[in-house]
Amino acid sequence: MVSVESITKKFGSLTAVNRVSFKLGRDEIVGFVGPNGAGKSTLLKMLSTYLYPTSGKLYVDGLDVMKQPLAVRRKVGYLAGDTPLYQEMRTDRFLEFIGKAHGLTGGRLKERLRWVVDACGLELALPKRVKECSSGYRKRIGLGAALIHDPEVILLDEPTHGLDPLQILSFRDLLKRLRAGRVIFLSSHIISEVATICDRLLVIHEGHLLADGTLESIRRQEELGGADLEDLFLHLVRKHESSKTSSKNAHDGQKPRT
Amino acid sequence: MLMTDKSLERNAGFVYGTRVIFVREIGAYFDSSIAYVYASVFLLLSSSIFMNSFFLNSVVDMSEYFRNLPFLLVLFIPAITMRTWSEEHSQGTFELLMTLPLRSFHVVLGKYLASLSFCLVVLAGSFPIVLMLMSLGNPDLGLIFSSYLGGFFLAAFFLAFGVFMSGITREQIVAFVLSTFVCALFVLSGHEKVVEVFDGLAPEWQMGTWLYESVSVLPHYESFCRGVVSLGDVIYFTLLSAFFLVMNAITLKLSRY
Repeated sequence: MVSVESITKKFGSLTAVNRVSFKLGRDEIVGFVGPNGAGKSTLLKMLSTYLYPTSGKLYVDGLDVMKQPLAVRRKVGYLAGDTPLYQEMRTDRFLEFIGKAHGLTGGRLKERLRWVVDACGLELALPKRVKECSSGYRKRIGLGAALIHDPEVILLDEPTHGLDPLQILSFRDLLKRLRAGRVIFLSSHIISEVATICDRLLVIHEGHLLADGTLESIRRQEELGGADLEDLFLHLVRKHESSKTSSKNAHDGQKPRT
Repeated sequence: MLMTDKSLERNAGFVYGTRVIFVREIGAYFDSSIAYVYASVFLLLSSSIFMNSFFLNSVVDMSEYFRNLPFLLVLFIPAITMRTWSEEHSQGTFELLMTLPLRSFHVVLGKYLASLSFCLVVLAGSFPIVLMLMSLGNPDLGLIFSSYLGGFFLAAFFLAFGVFMSGITREQIVAFVLSTFVCALFVLSGHEKVVEVFDGLAPEWQMGTWLYESVSVLPHYESFCRGVVSLGDVIYFTLLSAFFLVMNAITLKLSRY
């Protein structure tokens, strides 16, 4: 459903994402874990068609993200990390605008609006301007906007940031209900949260993909049976740091002495 | 059941996408108190300048109004357009817009048409002057109409340029200053005093005349104000506006690389 093939994204001299490859299939909830600045948001922005990769290929349901961005956007629901919303608009008008931009009209638009309001618990926010809503509500409005066109691929960047514990529980419940027939790819720097929600994990650090698999398979691969997720993550990061240092030393040692 | 693409694709046409953005933008203009402040200040300033000369000259025509209009538009238009893209960047909604299934040009055109409509509404606020002149005498309505048309085309060009400038900077104030500066160059290079000064600096090169004929928008605008609606002038303003709108769409796309 989603195919990421050796994707690299550079901002000047900084390489935010470095030759990352993976595939995501239907009925999967996949967590994208890494510290701040690891490259999670950059990769999601590329999948959403917002940023163009420096090199590599991205496919969504067989569509080339670079060559068919409009067709990809119709299949993708994307919630950006900082939840960008038109603050001056009323919530109902904002959702209607996003729905119309996705080509929804008439009865179908009303039906999807009703569904989003129920699924995201937005009833009370509808008559308010977005700027008058709490941060939890704003996150849910953003989520509603990402889901309004019933996307097959759902990309969520730090979706639970700003939600209270009850809202997080209902969010998890919503994701489980949405899972059938879809790909849900969510990023977070809170590892335990991702482990609770997701079937599979991708661990990224400094733009490099360090691990890809279920929690159990990563534990087995790293021979860390029984380790909790935080320890596993720290182990992967340290392993990456030490391999980086040793390759740097090897490179320096090969330099001819002057 | 997941939604099929067919119904969505039907609604992803050029007119549909532009209309969706236009409706949002026009709502945003009239939902904001700043728009009413802009409109009030512009109408107060343009009308009071006109009324002053009207009482001094006692002539039943609007030529003085349209003579001052380019200079007012130089300040007024950048004040409207400075927020077009800068605000999207500051609120983070640029990312939201650019991930909707709409082409960049649909979004640019929707925003542009909304600002043009707002500008037309403000220009229409000067119609009471026309009514006043009609009640006092017998003004040349054809001349007034062609002058309004000139004002419309000049505003349309300044808006396209201002929207483009807003797209290449993330700061509203920078967009305002740069747009005002360049629009002022387009107008002042056609002012008779400026032309005289530049011609006087290097008489053999006729720099002032060259600026007037090649750079300034005033000769094209002034022909409307003389009652001449020439196809050449209409094409001139239309092509200039279209050029900056296309440039705007291209720079928006490039900014995502």
